[in-house]
Amino acid sequence: MFTTNPLNALLALTLADAGTVPASAALIPFLPLLGCILCGLCAIFKVKSKLPAYLSVACVGVAFLLTVQMFLATSGGSAGDHAAHGGAVVKAFDWIQFNWGIAKAGEPAKALIANFSFYIDPLTCLWMLFVSGLATLIALYASEYMSHDVGPGYCRFFAAFCLFVFSMACLVMGDNLLLLYLGWEGVGLCSYLLIGYFYKKPSAVAAAKKAFVMNRIGDLGLALGLMLTFVQFGTVEYAKLFPMVQTYLDHPGDAPYLVQLIPVLLTIGAFGKSAQLFLYVWLPDAMEGPTPVSALIHAATMVTAGVYLVARFMPIYAVSEWALPIVAWGGAITAFWAATIGMAQFDIKRIMAYSTVSQLGYMFAGLGVLGAAGAASHVFTHAFFKALLFLACGAVMHGFAGQLDLRKLSGLRRMQGWKVVSYTMLVGCLNLAGFPLITAGFWSKDMILADAFANQYAPIGWLLLLTAGMTAYYTFRVFFRVFCGPMLFEPGDELHSHDDHSHKEDHAHHSERGATHAATQFHPHPPGLAINAVLAILAVATFAAIPLFFIGEHHGWVGGMVHGSTAGATLHHAGDTHAHGTFLGQDPHKVMYYVSAVVGVIGIFIAWRLHLVGRTSAATAGADRLVPALGPIPKWAQGKWYVDELYHWLFYTPLRVLSHIFFTLDKFLVDGLVNLFGWLPRALGTSAQPMQDGELHGYASRMVQGVVLVLLIALVLVGIGGAR
Amino acid sequence: MTLLALIIMPLLAGLLVAFMPKQNAKVIAVIGTILPIAWFGYVLSLYQWNMRAVDQLDFSVEWFPALGLKLELGADNISMLLVALTLLLGPICVFASFTAITERVKTYYAWLLILQAAMTGVFLARDVILFYTFFEFTLVPMYVLINLFGSTNRKAAATKFFLYTFTGSVLTLAGVIYVAWYNAQHISADHAWTFSFAELRYAAQQMPFSHQVWVFWALMAGFAVKVPLFPLHTWLPLAHTEAPTAGSVILAGVLLKLGTYGIYRFALGFTPDAAIFYAPTIAVLSIIGILYGGLICWVQTDVKKLVAYSSVSHLGFCVLGLFAFNTIGLTGSILYMINHGLSTGALFLMIGMVYERYHTRDMNKLSGLAAKMPVWATFMVFFTMASVGLPGLNGFISEFMCLMGTFQAGDEWVGRSTVGGAAGGNLGPWYAFFAGIGMIITAIYLLFMLGKVVWGKPAGESHDSHGHEAHSNDHHGSLPADLSVREIGILLPLAALCLLLGLYPKPLLRVLEAPTQEMRAVYGRANDRLNELFPARSAAAQESEVPSSSTPVAPAQDLTANIPTTDDHATEGLK
Repeated sequence: MFTTNPLNALLALTLADAGTVPASAALIPFLPLLGCILCGLCAIFKVKSKLPAYLSVACVGVAFLLTVQMFLATSGGSAGDHAAHGGAVVKAFDWIQFNWGIAKAGEPAKALIANFSFYIDPLTCLWMLFVSGLATLIALYASEYMSHDVGPGYCRFFAAFCLFVFSMACLVMGDNLLLLYLGWEGVGLCSYLLIGYFYKKPSAVAAAKKAFVMNRIGDLGLALGLMLTFVQFGTVEYAKLFPMVQTYLDHPGDAPYLVQLIPVLLTIGAFGKSAQLFLYVWLPDAMEGPTPVSALIHAATMVTAGVYLVARFMPIYAVSEWALPIVAWGGAITAFWAATIGMAQFDIKRIMAYSTVSQLGYMFAGLGVLGAAGAASHVFTHAFFKALLFLACGAVMHGFAGQLDLRKLSGLRRMQGWKVVSYTMLVGCLNLAGFPLITAGFWSKDMILADAFANQYAPIGWLLLLTAGMTAYYTFRVFFRVFCGPMLFEPGDELHSHDDHSHKEDHAHHSERGATHAATQFHPHPPGLAINAVLAILAVATFAAIPLFFIGEHHGWVGGMVHGSTAGATLHHAGDTHAHGTFLGQDPHKVMYYVSAVVGVIGIFIAWRLHLVGRTSAATAGADRLVPALGPIPKWAQGKWYVDELYHWLFYTPLRVLSHIFFTLDKFLVDGLVNLFGWLPRALGTSAQPMQDGELHGYASRMVQGVVLVLLIALVLVGIGGAR
Repeated sequence: MTLLALIIMPLLAGLLVAFMPKQNAKVIAVIGTILPIAWFGYVLSLYQWNMRAVDQLDFSVEWFPALGLKLELGADNISMLLVALTLLLGPICVFASFTAITERVKTYYAWLLILQAAMTGVFLARDVILFYTFFEFTLVPMYVLINLFGSTNRKAAATKFFLYTFTGSVLTLAGVIYVAWYNAQHISADHAWTFSFAELRYAAQQMPFSHQVWVFWALMAGFAVKVPLFPLHTWLPLAHTEAPTAGSVILAGVLLKLGTYGIYRFALGFTPDAAIFYAPTIAVLSIIGILYGGLICWVQTDVKKLVAYSSVSHLGFCVLGLFAFNTIGLTGSILYMINHGLSTGALFLMIGMVYERYHTRDMNKLSGLAAKMPVWATFMVFFTMASVGLPGLNGFISEFMCLMGTFQAGDEWVGRSTVGGAAGGNLGPWYAFFAGIGMIITAIYLLFMLGKVVWGKPAGESHDSHGHEAHSNDHHGSLPADLSVREIGILLPLAALCLLLGLYPKPLLRVLEAPTQEMRAVYGRANDRLNELFPARSAAAQESEVPSSSTPVAPAQDLTANIPTTDDHATEGLK
């Protein structure tokens, strides 16, 4: 398949051959599926215990162990051994196989082939490691978090949870675009089911629907990209596709523009799933789901699927002239935009949601500026610290009866039983803010910034640098407001994140507690062992990730993984053709550490100055004095720049009106014409009825009339014929 | 005879129901629908799937020798699949009617069984007049079912259904008779009349282009009403909404497929030149149907009407795939017929089950059923997702292949690889794009339905008590709050099939390879003929071709260089 071109060697992996991948790798996606089926059985047999949670933890946990095994098997011993093909393919079973023509001898098969088989290369391993690892931890967390709902709801939650892990594994591991598409829509379904978990809440149902529909818009782009790939290359399997792309990479500029269009279409899909540019509005609303779901799906894993897609198809992106700039600018603008909104929100979970959108923007910008290693590193570190942040916020919400308003919580750090949450939250915030040296988030963000300047995307670099400061500010705004300062709190209006249970006994319990709220006898209940343990593990993991940046020669361990995968092709391809950019005349890779460290610390300092110094109440802080000076901007940012309203006015309302018009037209015009046709014969019959007067002379006269008419018509016809 | 038995069995059972006491009706109906399935197992043992598109298990008896009419039956892969769908839905409809139909039981089951026989006959007939007889005869039982057992507005719905589809198919008959006349006049050696499929197909393809055009539109007239294609669809929401549950299931599951099957067999098979020429017209109508039907779904308040209009939208994909004329599009379309029958049929069953309990189909009154009927809600979400086209379930592969076929239709025929649409009577990426918007709209209206009916707060106390009242006054009081074992038993096979066809469609795809490849070969030749006929057409195609870049690999050419010129097996298939 490959010639002995040095670029081919870059596309080839550190992976030796299929023999080194354990066959058990094919089991990884199916174990969570088994978990889903078992949870379904629990629902059928009306299990009223935490059994579904334990089954899920077990299944996902074993999948994680198998992933580790797969990773060790593929990374050990074969480094530097450039195999003759990309990743190893492990087949589970045939899915779609269709011969659309009969290939003549010597021609490639004229077939559409998409099997349930898995493409295993370092990129796959990287993604699966954090997906399955975090899923295990978060399932454990959820076993306690969801405990109020033990019963059918508990089974439903964990069934959807496991189905999500299955879909995500298909997405990441699939060896063809159709299986990726299956995972892609599958995670969308699970996201829909889990956002709408509290289905009696209209806002949750609406948010779920919004997420699915917005994702479908992106999916259309992905689907069209898939079709175009098939039309252009005659295959959707990576193992056959990437060598063909490689030939275009070898001869840049030769690619027909339809091939260059493929990555643009894929980008639409990626932006939908990863909440970028015009398609971000569903993600903040997705916070209606239970917090473990927000942590796993809407922060750590599913939303990075778009980043995975771009990284996986990096060779095709590199072929296109426009695709990577679109990705870079889309990401950078989103990062900035979401940060402006995040600075003005009061709901801490929403702030985290906007920070997710913003950080995803960083990842896309990283990919777009040819810094795939930085982007993947940021995905990896972000997965841990953002999951940590969400789970910590979830613990707060769980303990304070659904209270998420940072104006109503203060000084949690000093309250009994909230130590672990406070300090792990601090770790998460430091990571998100990019606090220098001791946080993994600093190192990964720094790589993206340096790459932006180095690869001559200076405007994007400056935008991201500004955003980094804003991120540090809004992150520590949350921390200083909620966890520091005087000990004050106001419980939320729910016992848990939703108000009405399906269980009657719970309901009674709830109203009793509700009454005690009013009597200000509320005691926040601090998290138990499962939640604290998971938070601690995640906090340790963020520190453990730091040394990874100093392993290996290609931008650390993650960089090495990326370098050994399809995403690595462009790193070096770009290195050849692009001149080295500078940051104010300095080498960005050398000075960016200092610059981003200073920016991060300044952001934290401003937050400290405005939100902690001299604050005596929970509701107000020093920042409030600044608000009038900024005019309407804070209000607009708090209103999310009214993008939702704009979309409603621009798309929803016109479509709705159009639908009503269509329905009316259908009833009166389209069907009306039909009824007219039905009515005409009857009307003619009725109007002709008087002629049937039963009188003989009447008939006779009309017979004469008829004959004359026929003769006239005949004459006219003959006349016309003669004239010709 | 083996095939004839498939038609005779339900027919006899139907007559038996009519002449036996009322108590036996259900039992006979069950036997009359299960027995053909068992017999179908025997047919399968004789049938060879791997043969090319040649009819098997032929059965032929002289019927009216003077006109060349024969009772001719046969089966090819496509017929077998659609017969399987029909047979499967038979017992499901019978079981689904046990509690819903309590009056005039004999009439009901007798007509249901006769309808079953007629539908099987349509797919097996190999004589055009026999086909037409069965095709028209399906109207009578359906008319009776809607007229006697439907809801409030049933009389108007039944009449409209009957007259509308009947009017359309009269034109189809005219087209067919013209082809038979042409055959007798110009093609047949001894000027003998015949109505056999194979011979008429050969004759029709020999007709001059101008004749083909007329025949094409005449054939389309009847089938387009049946499908229904965009402006001719207004009978469908009415008939679906008013029909009893089993009637809706059969209507959506099988009767609409008579239209697409007819298009495949006749419009596509008989008049390929005209079909290519008018493909963009039909495709635009299909796309309008997809988008227009989908948007109308979104503003419905009657959940059954929503699902009814969704058929207008869904069948648009099906027709679009047919008019892509490539193997992928044709295969997708045929799969679509089966998958739509399963998932939409199931949705009608689900709505029927709710209707039996709450006696309303108003989505504003049916809310939060997930809390009241969790098992029902689970099935509802499942079948809705199948209908949305979620990968892993059945709907996805067919919808996707229809779109994929449409997407590459332009390239494959004209040898272009531009995105600029489809000059010269072919489809292309833009068609796929606009049809693809239908995927989004499908999600919008089906999730709108789920949001209204399944999710949300359970309907208020007042309604609840009303429901209970109706419940207790009803003599179907035996119905439990959630689904009964019988109802779960009805839904499980459908759900299992949806999952199976979604995860392992390979056998079906394999089976459809041969017939669709042969159809495609016919179209390759038709395209060449059209290029001869309209030199400007091929010139335009050449012009718009992007100058082939000097790429070392030329994978794109694989798809374009495949227009078959002389395919031996295809001509075999024709004769």
